[in-house]
Amino acid sequence: MNITRRRVLGTTALLPLAALVPDLLAESQAAAAASQKAGGSAYKFFSAHEAAVVDAATRRIAPGPEDDLLEIGHPGAHECDVVRYIDTLLAMFSFSTPKLFAGGPWSNRHTKGGPDHMKTFVKPDRAQAGAWRARVKELQKTYRAGVKSLDAHANGDFTKVSTIQQDLILAKSGVAPFTTVMFGHTIEGMYSNPEYGGNKGLAGWKEIGYPGDSQPRGYTAKEMAQIDVDIVDPTGIVSMLLGDFEKIAQTYASGVWRRG
Amino acid sequence: MAESMRKAVIAGSGAGASVTAMTLAEAGWHVVMLEKGPNYFTGLGKEWPPKTVFSNDNLKLTRNFEQPDPTAYPRTFRTSASQKSGYYVGPVNELPVTVGGGTIHYGAAMPRFWDIDFKQLSMLGPQPGADVADWPFEYSALSHLYDELEETIGIQGDMAAMPKDPVLKHAPRNKGYPMPPGPPQRASKLVSDGAKALGMHPYPFPHAINSQPYNGRPICNNCGFCDAYGCPTSARGSALDLLHRALLTGRVELRSETMVHKVEMKGRRATGLAWIDQHGRRGVERGDVVILAASGIESARLALMSGLPDPHDRIGKRLMFHYFTSGFGLFLDERLHAYKSWGAETHCLEDFADPDFIGAKAFAKLQGLPYIRGGLCELGGSEEVLAEAQFYQYILSAVLPEQPFGRTFKELMRTSLLRDRIAGIQMLGHDLPYLSNNVTLDPKVKDRHGFPVPRITYAPGKHETVAQEFYIPFITAVLKAAGATVSAAVPANTPLMGATASLPLTRHVLGGMQMGTDERTSVVDEWGRVHTTENVYVHDGGVFATAGANNPTLTIMAVVLRMARHLAGTASEG
Repeated sequence: MNITRRRVLGTTALLPLAALVPDLLAESQAAAAASQKAGGSAYKFFSAHEAAVVDAATRRIAPGPEDDLLEIGHPGAHECDVVRYIDTLLAMFSFSTPKLFAGGPWSNRHTKGGPDHMKTFVKPDRAQAGAWRARVKELQKTYRAGVKSLDAHANGDFTKVSTIQQDLILAKSGVAPFTTVMFGHTIEGMYSNPEYGGNKGLAGWKEIGYPGDSQPRGYTAKEMAQIDVDIVDPTGIVSMLLGDFEKIAQTYASGVWRRG
Repeated sequence: MAESMRKAVIAGSGAGASVTAMTLAEAGWHVVMLEKGPNYFTGLGKEWPPKTVFSNDNLKLTRNFEQPDPTAYPRTFRTSASQKSGYYVGPVNELPVTVGGGTIHYGAAMPRFWDIDFKQLSMLGPQPGADVADWPFEYSALSHLYDELEETIGIQGDMAAMPKDPVLKHAPRNKGYPMPPGPPQRASKLVSDGAKALGMHPYPFPHAINSQPYNGRPICNNCGFCDAYGCPTSARGSALDLLHRALLTGRVELRSETMVHKVEMKGRRATGLAWIDQHGRRGVERGDVVILAASGIESARLALMSGLPDPHDRIGKRLMFHYFTSGFGLFLDERLHAYKSWGAETHCLEDFADPDFIGAKAFAKLQGLPYIRGGLCELGGSEEVLAEAQFYQYILSAVLPEQPFGRTFKELMRTSLLRDRIAGIQMLGHDLPYLSNNVTLDPKVKDRHGFPVPRITYAPGKHETVAQEFYIPFITAVLKAAGATVSAAVPANTPLMGATASLPLTRHVLGGMQMGTDERTSVVDEWGRVHTTENVYVHDGGVFATAGANNPTLTIMAVVLRMARHLAGTASEG
């Protein structure tokens, strides 16, 4: 794994994409104003510093154009607003209906001007709510302690060390379990429906050529039959996986990688 | 018409329960249904189709919107009774806990069982170590009920495209399907063509999914969020079609978020079902008969928690899950977009379920077995986006431990081997009944109400592993013939180094409350009545005497329809 030129992430770079896009800029200014009111944080659970640390860490997990030159044109965790997703997850019970189960039957992404039914969250039953309250409480502790630990490994402030050091810290044995948790949430924040707080502007889905939710449009028979020629570059990580495809298949089929 | 105003109390609201509720209510009975999970439908019994809050939402699925939350309702799992402690606690082969049960999330594959499934002992003979048995009736007893349910629920399929041998030979049909097949999924079609090129007999997979408007529900628009999801458009046929009819009689009361925990008995008679609701309120719903229809594992658990008389120690025994084999064909030159589809797979192949498949008998003999059966193969399909990403995360930690994240992860997501380039084959895998595969009450672990959770003991026997070994090369060959660059087939629940157990993930949950004529070797009679009671019935997949080699839902419904008609006194025969 060759490490390309990476820049040191400063706290001033928290919303750099917003600076490039006018309407996002307005949004970021509104967020900044809200942050002033809320005593320094635009988030419901994270403090401004915690948000900055989680942003820096998830940028390493799924780098975007600002984090890795070879990812130019490919939005990453930051562009998808993964921090907002994680904050919404950790603060889900502070909303009148917990942001646990988005509603249905569809969003407004394929209707012209219809309501986004997914925005109306479904009230969990008591069994679900009880289980998730306990789960979220544990996750809150994990993040509070995890951010402290990242800072400690970086002599006080994880956001102030180089990205090379950040990578080394995230892979350290003591930190790796927290990195695994953040990785799981980075995945959810990038590739889930945006009603949960991430996948901003559908950047996560667009990046991988996945349309996401398609109702009430669905797909036509012609779209189903479409022959979509696209040849894989069989080098790098792909060649590693193809090298022992049966082992990969066994690992996949074992289900050990699935989270409960 | 039976004597009216009799009252049945049913635990559950899924495939079996809905058939019984409809049949009894339409025959004049009063019915109370107690469902553990929530009701995600508004207007059921009033407007049709009912409104839903299901959507194309992968995250909601992973947060157990439909599945029982493993913290609230855990299960335990071990591979042998010799494991006394320290075994797995968590979700084990869960069916959804919602109004509509398993049919709310099912892929809606609706093939029939074969004649040999019902007379497996007399037609195919015993198997060493297994408890193979005949059912109390034959395929012919269900044939017209299959016809009727295919019409009632609305199944698409193409009888003309079904192979005479083995499918129509073993599951003869009186008529065609009420709807033609929908358009083919690209991945399914490729694999189906591969199988055909090798002289096998794939055909369009019968599904309870509308290929045209049917029963007041719309045509499916192929959104792909099908298997494991509630249908956002109601294009999928399900227990709701029957529940709605049941509710329309005005004689059915459906109570959700109410868990049955005990059959109240007085001597050999049940007086009702004891329940606890989400708020911890308790009560007993009294009735003339009680019906356990909470699914294979849960009905057995309920029977055990109730202490139903079990002089021959048969309750909970002979649990069957099917023993899946997974084939993966990787296409490096094409994106297969299997997510554009009306079902998880649009084609299937039943050749491997045939004990007379070329070479199968000889291979079995070499291994000391009288015969082997694989199972129906679901052709096509791939993985979903969140699971895909989680798998890459796991793989990177194994192959690049020094930096198991970063650009490589994103490269994998863009290349999308698992989601966009896999065409799969899932062989269901007929599993034999064994007394050692069973449900017991866990001595330590409790659910959120303090009731003992089901402890599942399951391991494949020799038949299953030999059959798998025999069919793996055929599965790989089909994928190669389909044009896959690389392919592999492996057991669907391979235990890996360091894993606590190989958990079954099949969602086919059968047995535990076996149906039979002999009280010493079965739990219920052919009408589902528990032998040792006068009025406790089991109406779900728990009663199956063998597992068959096909998706079980239609057969569960047909078996229960036969039972419920008898109970209602409206059976036209037997």
